Amino acid sequence: MPNIERRDFLKLVGAGSVGVGAGFYLRESIKHPMEHLIPHVVAPEDFSTGIDTWYNTVCSMCAAGCGISVRTREGRVKKIEGNPSHPVSQGRLCALGQAGPQVLYNPDRLTGPLMQTGERGSGAFAQITWDEGLSKVADRLDLLRAAERGNRVCLLSQGVRGHLAQLFERFVDQLGSERLLHYDFDHPHTLYAANQRFFGEQRLPYYDLKNTRYLLSFGADYLGSWISPVHHSLGFGHSRQGRPDVRGRFVQIEPRMSLSGAAADEWIAARPGTEGLLALAVAHHILSKGYYQGADRADWIAVLAGYTTTEVAAQTGVPAETIVRLADAFAQTQPSLAIGGGSAGNHSNGVDTLVAVNALNYLVGNLGKAGGLVFNPEPAGPTTHPHQASYRTMLEFVEDARRGNIEVLIVNGTNPVFTLPSAAGFAEALAEIPLIVSLSSFLDETTALADVILPSHTYLESWGDDFPEPGVGFPVGAVSQPVASPLYDTRATGDIILGLAQRLDMNDVLPWSSMEDCIKDGWRQIHERGGGDVRTESFESFWRAVLTAGVWGEETHRESTFTLDKSVIAGIGVQAPEFSGASDDYPFILHPYLSTTLHDGRAANLPWLQELPDPMTSVVYGSWVEMNPVTAKGLGLTEGDLVDIESPHGRIRAPVYVYPAIMPDVIAMPIGQGHAEYGRYARNRGVNPIEILSPQMEPQTGSLASSATRVKITATGRRAELVKTGGNSRDLGRNIVQTTGAGQHSANLNSIPITVIPS
Amino acid sequence: MSLLDRFTDGWRKYRKPGYYEEFDYHWAMTIDLDKCTGCEACVTACQAENNLPIVGEKAFAEGREMKWIRIERYWEGEYPDVKLRFIPMLCQQCDSAPCETVCPVSATYHNQDGLNTQIYNRCIGTRSCAVYCPYEVRYFNWNDHQWDAPLEQQLNPDVTVREKGVMEKCTFCIQRIRQAKDHAKDDGRRRVRDGEVQPACVQTCPANALVFGDRKDPNSQVSRSMNDPRAYRVLEELNTDPSVVYLKKVDAKG
Repeated sequence: MPNIERRDFLKLVGAGSVGVGAGFYLRESIKHPMEHLIPHVVAPEDFSTGIDTWYNTVCSMCAAGCGISVRTREGRVKKIEGNPSHPVSQGRLCALGQAGPQVLYNPDRLTGPLMQTGERGSGAFAQITWDEGLSKVADRLDLLRAAERGNRVCLLSQGVRGHLAQLFERFVDQLGSERLLHYDFDHPHTLYAANQRFFGEQRLPYYDLKNTRYLLSFGADYLGSWISPVHHSLGFGHSRQGRPDVRGRFVQIEPRMSLSGAAADEWIAARPGTEGLLALAVAHHILSKGYYQGADRADWIAVLAGYTTTEVAAQTGVPAETIVRLADAFAQTQPSLAIGGGSAGNHSNGVDTLVAVNALNYLVGNLGKAGGLVFNPEPAGPTTHPHQASYRTMLEFVEDARRGNIEVLIVNGTNPVFTLPSAAGFAEALAEIPLIVSLSSFLDETTALADVILPSHTYLESWGDDFPEPGVGFPVGAVSQPVASPLYDTRATGDIILGLAQRLDMNDVLPWSSMEDCIKDGWRQIHERGGGDVRTESFESFWRAVLTAGVWGEETHRESTFTLDKSVIAGIGVQAPEFSGASDDYPFILHPYLSTTLHDGRAANLPWLQELPDPMTSVVYGSWVEMNPVTAKGLGLTEGDLVDIESPHGRIRAPVYVYPAIMPDVIAMPIGQGHAEYGRYARNRGVNPIEILSPQMEPQTGSLASSATRVKITATGRRAELVKTGGNSRDLGRNIVQTTGAGQHSANLNSIPITVIPS
Repeated sequence: MSLLDRFTDGWRKYRKPGYYEEFDYHWAMTIDLDKCTGCEACVTACQAENNLPIVGEKAFAEGREMKWIRIERYWEGEYPDVKLRFIPMLCQQCDSAPCETVCPVSATYHNQDGLNTQIYNRCIGTRSCAVYCPYEVRYFNWNDHQWDAPLEQQLNPDVTVREKGVMEKCTFCIQRIRQAKDHAKDDGRRRVRDGEVQPACVQTCPANALVFGDRKDPNSQVSRSMNDPRAYRVLEELNTDPSVVYLKKVDAKG
């Protein structure tokens, strides 16, 4: 050290330590006051250092309602697993459910109430207090209610069930509004309508995959994204290799091979929208072969006359021999089961198609028996009305908003700016709404346009409950409890609504001080009603037992008698599907599908799922467009070539993925990417195919016929290498995946006890 | 006995089939390809359990992803007669593991439970093991990885967070095995019960395709499953003697 004398050196050291000290005190002074406290001088009972504490609660990543067990350590969530006692998940969980901790600990969560200070969408937000936020909203609601214009308030939520749904219903009712909408892109409207028509009930039945010997699936990706994938997978595994001497056979009919198509024994490509015709041809063969001998046989023969296997073969592109073979196997292998949904239901003939699938179950006697289709009893939870908004309902809402009939919009969890086609004009309509309030935990595309953000807890911090729909053949309920203390200054959705209700003096109808109270009160009624597998004298012990088990169930079953009205038979028939866009201008049919990893885009902000290869293509972090090898060759395209995908309603750009299992005139795109907001992991990645969908509807339900858009493909001459796992997509004689003939079957070697449907 | 003799003797004993008879456990896994749906729940479960990092798009494109278990996919045939076969691929815990013999610092070795283990603080990052592994299931940390706050709060305290320059791979969730052994000891039992310990992938598999257990117990689920006529090992001709056994997919068309 030249030129520094001892005295200078000491001075420097002195200054340094003062600096260090000042830094320390500065850091201490800006800490949150909570951090100064010595935590847990007397630790809570369930908190001991180094020991895991597991809590049972309910997964909210999709609508299946799986029971989960959450491992916490020192108050932090470490891992989520399925709750072994819950009949839906039975200890298992999908990738989406496993990624739950990243929802809680997501770096892009909203940390407290915000108010938009700039223009909408400018991203300029200022922090406000809960009191300010709630008062601002409540004051406006109060004015509207007093002026008897409560109907100008709309509560637009993701699909919710249980007591939160009831809370929403009462709150909106108290405001004097009828506008309570649940909107989910993946809600199976056509399936509900088809079951309503055929079975006369607005409840989905239980599909007993576990005991079936032959499954015919029309477009339903039951293992990937349809209704309850974890439960279906359990059933699939058991049906395949869980029973002595019986191996279930699975047939998948869809224009593009899905996860379920890959797992099936046979994948059959039928032209998009002709799945229902195929079902009716199968039915025709069942009748003409005399497999069905019911009293209404003559009616069936009359109504199915036009659906001979040869005629339908020409329309569907499936050879007549194949149809005959399927029909023979379906009728002769008992119990069998036909399910329909997904893309098959998302056409202009969606309801008729799914009615035809129901007819198959009726004709071979699959109704109400193990291995077939089992009717669900009344759900145990509070009775609420169906609020799921179809595309048509959303259009009506958009129209109302445009006319200035909506003054306050409260959005909860749903993200229609992302999950509605741009043709719907939803984002533009929002501009006409004077006050938009979002209760989302994340700054998604819809929330970015909100004036006031009152952020909700994540599901791992909230009280709630769930009664899975469809049920599992008997009534099941589960309480969702907080497994970690709130990370930020957020509140449970129910508490936000109750906070507003208190400011609006709704105490007589919404008397609860918190969501916990509300849930507890609801479950008190379940306890008083009796029944169920938890029987205790006092409510407190019942409550503790339900929380500990994480699930509550009743042993009641529905009578399985079912008589079909003749008028239903007369109404059976499937029209050819209608597509928007002329086939000359738009030669390809766009098949958008829910991503197995990102679902409808809700999981795009979770890095684990962004980096989880798509099961079928192994692509990560982006969008792609799947194309038959012959089609790609004809267009001179190879993997990674950027193309424009243009519908009559918009254009997006994505790289080509040459996909061996898709029809030549169909192109497929995964939904999930293409976010403009929604945090650092989701933003500006890939494209959103929902954007360019034509506003074609299924006329009976008004739901979006999302598989009915025609598109054209234009090469851009540019390339974008797809990011995916390496390796060759062919085995090349290495014999890595070995197969064996159908004769070999292992009897009950690794089955697990499944607690569903005692026969 | 010379030092060299003692060494070769020990070596031979260790390479001898049946070496594990002297010890309590020999962990093994079976994967039923007729049940596997390729849903990748196992991949995410492993990521959550074992503190696997997010490498980011750029590193992923360079083939530097970290997934101790992955789903491989192989297309067969051409449209319309086309099939996609999935196979979960993880460390096969070979009993004659090529990766072990090649490591210059013995950072990877075989423990007495039949596990192929990796000692992170011994690893010097030559990556020879990854070259020798025919299953390509060893993953090298090319970078120090970041967890954007507060994602790090999820990290499993029972598992090390690895740093740059270290090789890593599937451990059969050794932390869970240790915990199960501890519980057995606390309960005064000598052995862990069948089904008491499950790696994260086995635990979550929605189709119940994966079975894990002790193959020294002839009545364990995994032992019974390994005796299935459909059982085979991947790349068996290499004589690596894997502890992961696959059950053939039944191809029942027609």
